[in-house]
Order: sequence, then structure tokens, then C-alpha cells
Amino acid sequence: MVAVYLRAVDEGSSLYQNLKVVPPMAVAALAMAALSRSISLPSGAIHVSQELEFINTVNTGDTTTSHARVIRNRKRGELHLLTIELRVLNNKREPVLVGTSSFILPGQT
Amino acid sequence: MQLSELDRGVSLPGIEKVITQESIDLYARASRDFNPIHIDPDYAARTPLGGTIAHGMLILAYVSQMMTAAFGRNWLSGGSINVRFRSPARPGDTITAGGTIIGVERGQGQDLISCDVLCTNQNGDPIITGEAKVRVKTDENRC
Repeated sequence: MVAVYLRAVDEGSSLYQNLKVVPPMAVAALAMAALSRSISLPSGAIHVSQELEFINTVNTGDTTTSHARVIRNRKRGELHLLTIELRVLNNKREPVLVGTSSFILPGQT
Repeated sequence: MQLSELDRGVSLPGIEKVITQESIDLYARASRDFNPIHIDPDYAARTPLGGTIAHGMLILAYVSQMMTAAFGRNWLSGGSINVRFRSPARPGDTITAGGTIIGVERGQGQDLISCDVLCTNQNGDPIITGEAKVRVKTDENRC
């Protein structure tokens, strides 16, 4: 997965090549994958904002666990805003990445 | 960047990337986000967007790349970012990620650096705007 990510973003930092550190945005990509498995967003959902905090590094071969939960689900007229919290833990159950993703959903969802 | 270079108003070395459908498809595999708006040109052509668009997180990865180049490991464990996705990036677009230091809070053993970050396309349209923060250990030469 990391190799595919590095190719996708054209990343060549020696930190990732030599030190076997996983790019934090690759960890975030996995968290987004967990999000998409646990919460089905409708077609037409727009990712409008993103917060991320990189707490600790992840090394190649580490096992991480990603969690996603809805923390805000607000409808105001035609506007439907959904905010989801992301948490990624390492194998010691310590947080390595936390964040929130916000989406505008199409009408009547 | 060296610690002595970190001051308000200093620009971070920017990076430039060309978006391709291949890079979008690879990112879809890495993130397991196979939304057809990103990977299916026929589907995307029938939507109001008129064609495929890159994942916002793919473009955000360029900002992280710029921050990693500037701040090294301090960014990987001690960095945070808060951005808005302003407009979509499309295959063929040239994306430039840049940043400027807007604040330096000196502390014991580490400084907190705040940066405005921005991604634009080849027309100068903002794709991502926001702020990044990084805690830089002051006992290290490379920050």
C-alpha cells in the first residue's frame, strides 16, 4: 500500500525510502478508507475541509487500527453538513493520527 | 530548513506536480476510494463536473510533502493541518503547493511554527487553502 501511495503522489523523500517510515498522509489515506467502509457517503458528496494531526510515526509493517465516527450531522435548508472524526491507533493502542473530515451532502440525504 | 531560517514571512520551498489520471487511479488504490468521479471518465463526463477530478487528499498530500521537505521528522510527529478544499483539481492540471511562515512561538526545547499553506492550479485558482502547524525541536540542527 505504501509503495502505491508513494507512486501516486510522486514522493521520493529519503525518510520513506531509507527509514521505513510511512508518510503520514498515507496513514490518513488508510483512515479515509476506513471511513468509506464504515460510513456510506452518497454520490455527489463534496469533501469540503480536512483537519489532521500527526501525533506519532508509523513504520512499514506496523499494524494500525482506524476508527471513524460522525460527530456532527447538521441540516440547514438545502445544506447538509456531515463531520466525521478519524482516529488511527498503533498496535500499542496509542493514537498516531487524529482528524476530522467535513462533507457537504446533496439534498434530501 | 535550518532553525535560523524560521521566521515570520519566510516562504517555504514550494513543489509543483502535474496531475494525471494514472496518479489519481494509483491514489484510489492506495486509499481504496474508488468513487467513479475520480476514476471513471465516462461516468464523470456525465456529471456537472464534466470529467474526473483528483481526490482532495491527493492534493493535500503535496502540502504534506512540502512540509516534510521543510521540517523533516518534526512534521511527521508533531505536525497538524487544517484546510479547505476550494475547487477540484483535474487530470492535466499543474498544481503548485506553497507556504509562508506566519508565526513563530519560541518555547523551551521546541518552537511552534505556523504556516499559511496554499495549492493553486496553473491558472492561479486556489485548490486548497489553510494553515499548518509544526513543533520543531530546537536541539536539532535540521528542523
